[in-house]
Amino acid sequence: MPPLNHFVIESPDAVGREAYERITGDVLQDLDLIKVIDRLHIYVDPVMPIFIAVGLLRHMPRAIRVSDFANVNPGEKMVVLDIGDETYLAPLLQKLWTIYGKENVDQPDRFTVVLPAGVIEGEELEGLVVADPSETLYKDVIYALQYIAPEGFKVRRQYIRDGKFYYVASEDTLPTDIVETMVVPLFEKMGVEL
Amino acid sequence: MTTLVPVTYKGGIYRHDEIMDLIDDLGGYIVQKHVMAQDVVLQSFVPRDDIELIRRVAKPLAGEVIEAPLVGTEIAVVSPSLEIHHLPHIACDIAEYLRRSGAKTNMIGLARGFGKRIANLNDEERDIINEHDLAVYVLGSFEECIKQKFPAIRREIYTPIVLIGAPDREALMRVIDPPVEGYVGSVGRIMHRLKRPEELGKLDELVDEVSRVLDARRDALAKDPLSIFPPRLMTIIEDQIHEVSMLTHPTPVTVQMEGLRVKLPYDPYAPLIRSLEVVDGVTIGDIADVTPSRMRNYILIRIKPFSETRILV
Repeated sequence: MPPLNHFVIESPDAVGREAYERITGDVLQDLDLIKVIDRLHIYVDPVMPIFIAVGLLRHMPRAIRVSDFANVNPGEKMVVLDIGDETYLAPLLQKLWTIYGKENVDQPDRFTVVLPAGVIEGEELEGLVVADPSETLYKDVIYALQYIAPEGFKVRRQYIRDGKFYYVASEDTLPTDIVETMVVPLFEKMGVEL
Repeated sequence: MTTLVPVTYKGGIYRHDEIMDLIDDLGGYIVQKHVMAQDVVLQSFVPRDDIELIRRVAKPLAGEVIEAPLVGTEIAVVSPSLEIHHLPHIACDIAEYLRRSGAKTNMIGLARGFGKRIANLNDEERDIINEHDLAVYVLGSFEECIKQKFPAIRREIYTPIVLIGAPDREALMRVIDPPVEGYVGSVGRIMHRLKRPEELGKLDELVDEVSRVLDARRDALAKDPLSIFPPRLMTIIEDQIHEVSMLTHPTPVTVQMEGLRVKLPYDPYAPLIRSLEVVDGVTIGDIADVTPSRMRNYILIRIKPFSETRILV
């Protein structure tokens, strides 16, 4: 069972409810989202048919800048980037290539990137945003919910903003007032206002 | 007449050819040989009285002989789709477990088998499932969904079905009408590898259920026996058509309970197979229907019963 502050699965089908509790736990664990999600409330009714998941995210990771993983050493003729953590090296190179051109970006070895001096200021380079993990986090959370929901539920509506998210899916057309009638009450059960 | 029983031999690759020769000399058949690094697994039929002899010969080679009820059967594991919701864990684990009991399993992911209202089965899927000895339907968590969708995905399936779902066995039996041949309850969509004791227990229950259904079919067959024992026909085809030995399939000739699937193209090879002589004057065409399989362009051989041919080879 994931250590969430609120983790409830509701369903009129008792066997299905238990199965979905296990499925949700497994999926969140597999996708490494347990640390990210704070509260999760799922309602699934196969008769209607409807699947609703509402929840809160714990905290959004901030944007990754060059200074977070590299030392910038400005010299007379060139600026040398000393890479500490390779995780974001590929997006960094992509960014540098588009901004300064491939011919100006040299990588003599795995952990060093060299730019000619003059094309960029040291401080400007340190503050360059390389990646925004929250972008992929949104995708990951929605993917996890797609993965948890029954497969036939292809009609869906999803929302993720300000740390709150919901995902509604059904096999049939969704009623236009589904958010007001079913999603908001589920948020209220978690003690949260949408 | 000696009774042949299905067994699995597991041992090292060293001197395993002696075991193969022994099974051959005793009048048994090896339907599948599987070499994995240093290990060899032989799925075979051997005379019941000679199992002890094989065990004795295999002892110095550290080989073991295990009864494997599903040897010589081809089983379809049918999953509502090939999406991540149903694969890999539950369907692959089931297929693997049945394989360990000797069956040849094929996984069939339906194109549109998901959903309660929208589930359906196309003619290709229907025909391929019908080419198997048994179909294991691996369905999901809700009783309501299984009740509604199952009639759509079993339409015109004449092969025996064993149904797996999350509701318990009694609930499955209650909602399925007309009944299918076997049920295993309390296993639904599972998103992790099956390794807990209770999950493995369920897989054992599935193997028992499948064996029970196939045994019933074997009993029915015994009343009107086939004109030739399928593994024997397999050896005849393997001996006489040398192209079979050049196929890279794990089972170039797959043995089924009532026939064979030969993994050669139908058009060039079907006339040759029909004209192969089984014994003096009797050809395969006399005792079996050689038909195109819906699986790729393979050949499906259905052996006719004795009552139809009046020939017993």
